[in-house]
Amino acid sequence: MSDKAFLFDASRCTGCKGCQIACKCWNNLPSSLEMNHYKFTGSYQNPADLNGDTRLIMTFNEFENKASQKRVGNAITRRSCQHCTDAGCVSICPAGALFKDEATGLVTHDASKCVGCQYCSSACPFEVPRYTDDGLRTVINKCYGCVDRVANGMAPACVTTCQPEALLFGDRADMIAQAHRQVAFLKEHGYEDACVYGENEMGGLHVIQVLKYGVEKHGQVENPQVMGTVGAMNVMKPLTGVVAPLVVVGLGAMFALATGYKRNTLAYNNETQDTIALETGEVVKTGDPQDSRTFTEALTENLPFMEANRKKKQLEAEAAAKAAAEAEAAAGSEAQVQAADTAAATEEDTQEGGE
Amino acid sequence: MQNTDVILNIGSNSAENHPVSSKWLHKAHERGAKWIVVDPRYTRTAEMADIYCPIRSGTDICFYGGLYHYIIENLIEPNLEKYRAGRFVPEYNFEYLTQYTNASYILDHEFEFDPQTGFFSGWDKDSETYNSHSWHYETDHEEEWDTTPGGTYAWAVGEGVPEFTTPTLTVPKKDMTLTDERCVYQQMKKHYSRYTMDMVCSVCGMDKEDLELVYSTYASSAAPGKAGTILYALGQTQHTYGAQNTRAMSILQLLCGNVGVPGGGVCALRGEPNVQGATDMGMLVNEQPAYLKWANTTDRDTLAHWLESQTYSDGYYTNKPKFMVSALKEWYGENATVENDYGYDWWPKVPSHDGSDWTELSSFEKMKEGTMKGYYAWGMNPCHSAPNSGNVRRSMANLDWLVVADQVITETADFWDAPDMDASTIPTTVFFLPCALIYEKPGTILNSGRWVQWRYQAVEPWDEAKPDYEICDILWKEICALYEAEKNDPKTANPDPILNMKWDYYLDGKIDPIPVAWALNGYKVESSDWKSGFTSNPDGTLSSGSIDLLAGYAGLGANGSTACGMWIYSGFFANNDAPCDPSKQAVARRNNVDSSGLGLYSEWAFAWPNNRRIIYNRASADLEGQPWNEEKALVKWDKDAQKWLTGYANGMDIPDFAATRTLTDGTVQQIEPNNKAFFMLWEQNGRLESYGMTDGPFPEHFEPFETPLSSNPLNGLLNSPCFLGRKFVDDSTRRGRVEDYPYVATTYSVTEHWQTGGQTRACPSLVEAWPGDMIELSQELALEKGIHTGDHVRVWNRRASVVVTAVVTPRVRPLTVQGKTQHLVGMTHHFSWGKLFGNTTLGAVNDLTPNVGDPNSQTPEYKAFLVNIEKTTV
Repeated sequence: MSDKAFLFDASRCTGCKGCQIACKCWNNLPSSLEMNHYKFTGSYQNPADLNGDTRLIMTFNEFENKASQKRVGNAITRRSCQHCTDAGCVSICPAGALFKDEATGLVTHDASKCVGCQYCSSACPFEVPRYTDDGLRTVINKCYGCVDRVANGMAPACVTTCQPEALLFGDRADMIAQAHRQVAFLKEHGYEDACVYGENEMGGLHVIQVLKYGVEKHGQVENPQVMGTVGAMNVMKPLTGVVAPLVVVGLGAMFALATGYKRNTLAYNNETQDTIALETGEVVKTGDPQDSRTFTEALTENLPFMEANRKKKQLEAEAAAKAAAEAEAAAGSEAQVQAADTAAATEEDTQEGGE
Repeated sequence: MQNTDVILNIGSNSAENHPVSSKWLHKAHERGAKWIVVDPRYTRTAEMADIYCPIRSGTDICFYGGLYHYIIENLIEPNLEKYRAGRFVPEYNFEYLTQYTNASYILDHEFEFDPQTGFFSGWDKDSETYNSHSWHYETDHEEEWDTTPGGTYAWAVGEGVPEFTTPTLTVPKKDMTLTDERCVYQQMKKHYSRYTMDMVCSVCGMDKEDLELVYSTYASSAAPGKAGTILYALGQTQHTYGAQNTRAMSILQLLCGNVGVPGGGVCALRGEPNVQGATDMGMLVNEQPAYLKWANTTDRDTLAHWLESQTYSDGYYTNKPKFMVSALKEWYGENATVENDYGYDWWPKVPSHDGSDWTELSSFEKMKEGTMKGYYAWGMNPCHSAPNSGNVRRSMANLDWLVVADQVITETADFWDAPDMDASTIPTTVFFLPCALIYEKPGTILNSGRWVQWRYQAVEPWDEAKPDYEICDILWKEICALYEAEKNDPKTANPDPILNMKWDYYLDGKIDPIPVAWALNGYKVESSDWKSGFTSNPDGTLSSGSIDLLAGYAGLGANGSTACGMWIYSGFFANNDAPCDPSKQAVARRNNVDSSGLGLYSEWAFAWPNNRRIIYNRASADLEGQPWNEEKALVKWDKDAQKWLTGYANGMDIPDFAATRTLTDGTVQQIEPNNKAFFMLWEQNGRLESYGMTDGPFPEHFEPFETPLSSNPLNGLLNSPCFLGRKFVDDSTRRGRVEDYPYVATTYSVTEHWQTGGQTRACPSLVEAWPGDMIELSQELALEKGIHTGDHVRVWNRRASVVVTAVVTPRVRPLTVQGKTQHLVGMTHHFSWGKLFGNTTLGAVNDLTPNVGDPNSQTPEYKAFLVNIEKTTV
């Protein structure tokens, strides 16, 4: 079977978000059942970014466009996994949870193998992989290309729902050819920056895009690269393989090698009420919580990038609050309330982003 | 849509609100069609288009008037001599204009329009209404119906046919050279001479260059063989002159020769709520199913008067008595006889004698006055969707009882619980009937192309919810039992209309939509047995009871021999071999082979009437029956064989004109091509000028109820003299002045939500994708007001104050109107206090919209009103 690809044609997309919803429905990805849980972002783009329960969103970038009779443009784009050929996330994954689907070349995953290390996130130039708490652990959640549907002769859920045929799925070569035809059509219609994206990026993406206004306007990454750490991590991967399928053990061993992980740490698993020795994976005790931390917290506490992420977000939040306060300082007490609101909102976002 | 050469979206945001249409529009676009969007803001549809032109909300007629003027000045006048000399004009279709429209008809000598006053002839100051007499044509001569045996209208005096005076055809005077100053064309030219390009720019707030590009691009569709289509929706209809907007589009399409051709037409975009089906089914105050008028207390007070006022003197509507008598036979069954006028007098009658209005907007005034004591809101949520919804809930507090049949507890069901209501002071008893969703019951749904499609039940209704027809049945039986028990009590008023009604739509002992489908399709009364009770066999046949379905409405009689609830659907459910199996009926056909190559898909479902895919298709060919464009032939006269080529087998459409006639001996004769292209009108020509509207024979520009202008730049009258609600008290409508409310506001929907959100706000993923209402405003206005994207904005006028989230965007831009900068804002209206996943306690946007509307259609003016705005914290 030849490589398959999605074709996203931004010039045919109406931004209806049917794909965003279809993805959530097909994959049983929950949305909050709490009344008024979601806040309107002030943009058509809701939620503002991907998250642990949202694998696909539509993004909107509005701008003035003096070159056009229309004088304004709205670059509507589909944001999800791009299914790289040189997939840094697959290379870096220590647990074999991320892998290529042989039949299609799509990057799929098996969340049951995921150890929640979040290395894939740092390896992805598109900031796509997100994590969801499955009650036991924090595991990867990202587009898996609906490889099960594809294997059964169907198109991915998002493609099936797309009415204006802005999303197609088929042989990668055909998708690329169609993309070039559409770009030629767009150039004839005055969209001089129209281009095909994904033909060669990252060794070739399995999401081919027709970008009506060019790479930047559509929020895509110009010349994306595999993260440097991925090469280093590859050296360590065989080690984790040796101790698999004892994932926890593998993780401990790898962490020990990679980051000087603190040995003999115990963790408590809420689900099973077991206390586990992280190094050996042995159940030390059953039914008696020894540690106030969750299993996930214990697992990830020493990961340097987690710490860095937390710190970065905290700094960002503080900076944002400060900037807002300064900007509104002259406007009196009402502005201060607003600044406080902004700061609070940023904190909330941070918490959500840190899931 | 895929066949068009020019797409004009005006008053429609099809990409967002009818996403499926985009697929077909892209096909046209890829074939080389030009795509124009005229809209107050740059929508997701504008993003698809080639040309975008902003317009001030509520000034569409000025825009169309300017386009007529442009076509007249640039295409018609310079070539008129050529046409008169019999020469071909490649850029304009003179044959269509002169042969298929009423351009050449001479108007009544009293016809007049006075720009000084803004009135057409016929205005009656006392009643404040128009008498349309002077809007008719001059008569050349008269012709009577031939009702003698063997005559065309012999059926009209047959046994069982109710007595009525047959109509007289008044053949209009014409001037085919279009020189007579009283002819429709000359009057139109005069009327729209005021609509110059500069005037349009100044009134609509347009840039002249943009406007010229739009006009010249659209006018290119007036060439013979070319087609332009207009996509419209609520942006055109929701105005105090909304029906005139629709007239204006029809006139434009006739002027461009764009009606009846593939890729032409006035495309009213229908959608998910089945508006097309609802209008067909008579969910209207003035019309019963299939667009037959209700009885009233003036010109339709008896069956004879109905037949005399409604039956056309020529064209297909000469058959109306057949449709009417067959409909009455279905309403009253065996109780309907020629002796009792087929039960006509049992119908309730619209009180037309006193000018009173009982449509939606007026209902709430009547509740306030105390004349309306009870109210059914069935699949309708006026406390959120009706304009000035604060006024609606305050009015409802005067009701004795309210029944709400809906899928969720809507704002109407708990109007007493609104943030500004005090339940302890409201005596209304509210009943809530949970309804099944469309997926929980079988039935039909229609699309914009009038395709009736069968939809199977997917899941069982949730909890206690029931399909509407089951709820009707339960109520009906209870009501009948009460009448039956008390019919001899002198206090029981008028039991006959209820007790004589036919209500027997049961199959296998249960109420069922299949017998309803038979009733709509029509059947022969003599050979059908509704008495024995219908039971079905697994193969779709009947084991008890019998039904003799009609193949189509051509089989209907005016003598009580047939019953038919909906003549236009006749043929959609006509297979007598398996009457109980929808899958074996035309309505459920699923063959997507397209023999036409034009996307007619003639064997997919059923398009009313008679499975015609493009109505008025006679106009797709010239006077001699030759298609304007051979590649887009819908019908064609074969000169050699002297016969019409039509129908699926020839890759063409079902003719929408009289192509053949059947003689009394049964032989079928071909009718040679003629100019009768619009046979649903008695003239059988399209109306550039029409006497059928309440508020004027030509669309004329008026300002919205609330306008930033102090006078009308085009005539002496600021607002339409006829608009609905002009007599409401000020405390109800609370009109605002531009001095207090300087911004023009409009409302619209987003693709993520459906109207008041009873379905979509109950879907968490849709609430996540669009969590609240917004106000869109320009960067310029935002700067002036210190508003940033994401800020809370208070929007208010004399009716209400609400808070929504700001979207500051370059997609909205300030316009220059009459030399002054005019800001526009737009709001969504999906959220309210109703207890769904997404709600708001900060006021519903429809609390702001004015409760005034169109006098023809009674549609409210949601699309243009005035507000003020400020940044706020909540």
